[in-house]
Amino acid sequence: MNNRTLYRRIGVLAAVAIGIIALITLPERQQNIAGWLVSTTLQMATPLVLTGIGGMYSERGGVVNIGLEGMMLMGAFTGAAVTYYVRNPWWGILGAVAAGGLLAAVHGVVCVKYKGDHIVSGTGVILFGTGFSTLMLQIVWQRQGQGELIRDTIPDIVIEPIQDIPFLGPAFSVISPVVIFMFVLTIASWYILYRTPFGLRLRAAGEDPSTLDSAGASVEWTRFIGVVISGCLAGIGGAYLSIGFGSAFAKEMTSGRGFIALAAMIFGNWTPSGVLGAGLFFGFLDGLNYFIQIYFPILLPFANFIAMLPYLLVVVALGFIRRSIPPKGIAVPYEKERKG
Amino acid sequence: MNEMDDAPTPDEEVMVVEGGIFDQLLAKIKSQGFRNQVFWSLGSILLALVVAAVIMLMGGYNPGAAFMWLAVGAISQMDQVLWYASPLILAGLSVALAFRCGLFNIGAEGQLYIGAMATALVAYLYSFPILLHPLLSLTVGVLAGAGWAFVPGLLKAYRGAHEVVTTMMLSYAAILFTSWLVGPNGPFWDGSMVPQTPRFYDSALLPLLFGDYIHFGFIIALLAVFGVDYLINRTVLGYELRAVGHNIDAAEYAGIDSKKKVVTALAISGGLSGLAGSTEIIGTYDRFIANWSAGIGWDGITVAVLGNNNPWGVLAGGIFFGALKAGGNTMQTLANVPVEMVKVIQGLVVLFVAAPRIISWLMKHAQENKEEAVIRPVNTLPRFLAAFFGLASVFLGLGTARTVLLTATPTFWVMVAVVVLLLVAVTSVLVFITEYSRDPRGSTILLIIAVGWLEAAIAFFVGGGGIELTSIIMAFIAFAFWLSMQLLRRNVIKEGAEQ
Repeated sequence: MNNRTLYRRIGVLAAVAIGIIALITLPERQQNIAGWLVSTTLQMATPLVLTGIGGMYSERGGVVNIGLEGMMLMGAFTGAAVTYYVRNPWWGILGAVAAGGLLAAVHGVVCVKYKGDHIVSGTGVILFGTGFSTLMLQIVWQRQGQGELIRDTIPDIVIEPIQDIPFLGPAFSVISPVVIFMFVLTIASWYILYRTPFGLRLRAAGEDPSTLDSAGASVEWTRFIGVVISGCLAGIGGAYLSIGFGSAFAKEMTSGRGFIALAAMIFGNWTPSGVLGAGLFFGFLDGLNYFIQIYFPILLPFANFIAMLPYLLVVVALGFIRRSIPPKGIAVPYEKERKG
Repeated sequence: MNEMDDAPTPDEEVMVVEGGIFDQLLAKIKSQGFRNQVFWSLGSILLALVVAAVIMLMGGYNPGAAFMWLAVGAISQMDQVLWYASPLILAGLSVALAFRCGLFNIGAEGQLYIGAMATALVAYLYSFPILLHPLLSLTVGVLAGAGWAFVPGLLKAYRGAHEVVTTMMLSYAAILFTSWLVGPNGPFWDGSMVPQTPRFYDSALLPLLFGDYIHFGFIIALLAVFGVDYLINRTVLGYELRAVGHNIDAAEYAGIDSKKKVVTALAISGGLSGLAGSTEIIGTYDRFIANWSAGIGWDGITVAVLGNNNPWGVLAGGIFFGALKAGGNTMQTLANVPVEMVKVIQGLVVLFVAAPRIISWLMKHAQENKEEAVIRPVNTLPRFLAAFFGLASVFLGLGTARTVLLTATPTFWVMVAVVVLLLVAVTSVLVFITEYSRDPRGSTILLIIAVGWLEAAIAFFVGGGGIELTSIIMAFIAFAFWLSMQLLRRNVIKEGAEQ
């Protein structure tokens, strides 16, 4: 560990310590507000982080996936529709995983098997996902704009003992299993990516596919699996919107979250912990929006600017702070024994 | 056939043909590259329509009626078609021009909003004489759009920030920014219930060409097609842009300042997007309303992709999508198919266009199947029937799953049956692929499908749904196919051994 990392870690620890001290000294009401803000941040960040980590699997394997928005919408719709029919949200999640994975598989077939242009195909996926989910909304619920209310949403986990503690109560006492899954997924993804043979293969497929090929593994299958995983996770992210903290499917309900997830992935430099951090930050901005609407109506006129922040931050960060370096072999179809 | 990679398509060679403009046009139409191109685009559209028909069948609509009214609506309302097409053509040109320089301007939507906003300001804040006003408004709109794309261009050229990300992010920022400007808290709100600007001066509005819809913007779009074609193919700048798009290192080596070209290309592209927004806002609307464009910039990407980034292809693609939109409305009212179906068709077209190899794969195996049919007619028939069975199994699998889901009480086993049916439908696609390409693994997949259908029937029966005849029949047919395939294979092996 060199000095720089050491200083950085000390800095982070100090910031956390100061934050905790500040929190404890606050009056109870403010502590509760802070707790509520944490809880909202977690809720808003979950779809972003799930989808962003999904995108990371795809892009680490060398396939650009700008179609995350479409896959999220498919997941959101399928989750809601299956839950509506079966009255069990877990089947809904399963359906969302399948639907997102299926759409991603189409993207994978086009990009990996037929060597199509990744971005063009991704655009097609977005268009298809948006159109198809809106079309199915009308078929399933015979309505336009918004589907019927779903009663059997994913049940929250209630932790009784901490309910009355000032900060922790509002922050963590009622928590969705999907939020917990987000943290589990981040750790699991780190392990998969850096500590398993599959992760090594996936990273090789994105960085230098010819090496992977000469090592005897199939570049096409590795990439394809990466894309399908991305669709499955984006599906869960979308389902969390329609049957997690929301309770109905609405037309184009992701409203650009797929793109923010993409931004979080780039912001987080294609690493699980980075995506988690960026996703939490963007989720915080999203939560801040609600926070302002409730507690600081004076700032309400500038809500649009707060909504703009994640997008502008990405542009500024990419342009001025540091270069984000995508995997080397990204968006390049792998041809065996290509000349040159 | 991988035209996407070879930005300067073979039409350069055609350009040297001597003679008048018509001779050149004729020579171009006769060239192999052009024919491949048209074939590829039409094939994609056809495949997309086939898949769309499947989706409509699953949704309980009548695809025949839908397509008929789509076509009737498009043909009978040519003015609406061209009206829808004009901003699409301009946005498509914008994306196509950037593509020719190797850039993907995915943020056309945002540049369009900023251009429209700037135009709107000139159109309602200042008053000018009648001819000058629209011209001035459009110029300002073009400049604003160009400026919005100039920033990502600079970042791309000098800081290496990927333009896909930056333009996309700026596009969302633009939409939020303009909706703030015209909203209750912004400076340009008209004070009504809707976030919008006050009405423009009449002098700023573009005149209608004929009918109730089509305005002067269509002429501007046509001129832009000529202009972009001239710019790309006949000027030094266009040559340099294409060179950078084709191979950036070679272009640098030839003395082209690739960074400047990247910035220029994105700025021109943004200007074209701005023009799309400007013509639309003073042609169709008479005020700027927040979120007015329902994805014209996104459709522009589709149009550019369909036209293979060629200005004339973009013109054709734009008119095609305009026809889809105009026909879509008729389809909704007369065939009761939601207009969103059009978006699904668009997405499918793009997906198929993205992978030209799908169509070349279909063609290649069609040829080989034909040859095989001449040599071994006995083997070909069951193979074809099996491939056809695969397709039928896809339809029936999805259809049965749908009926089961809608009619039976959803117990655990019924859900298992539904899942199995969906899996069978997906696997059936593989049957078609393997049988069509004469892959020997096809027969194994047939057996898997037979088991799948049977399992679905059993699960359904156990779940209290009664006896599902379709599944059982399908299981037996699949099994019969598997058996006949095994027999055929044994015959082939025997023949081989005898020889």
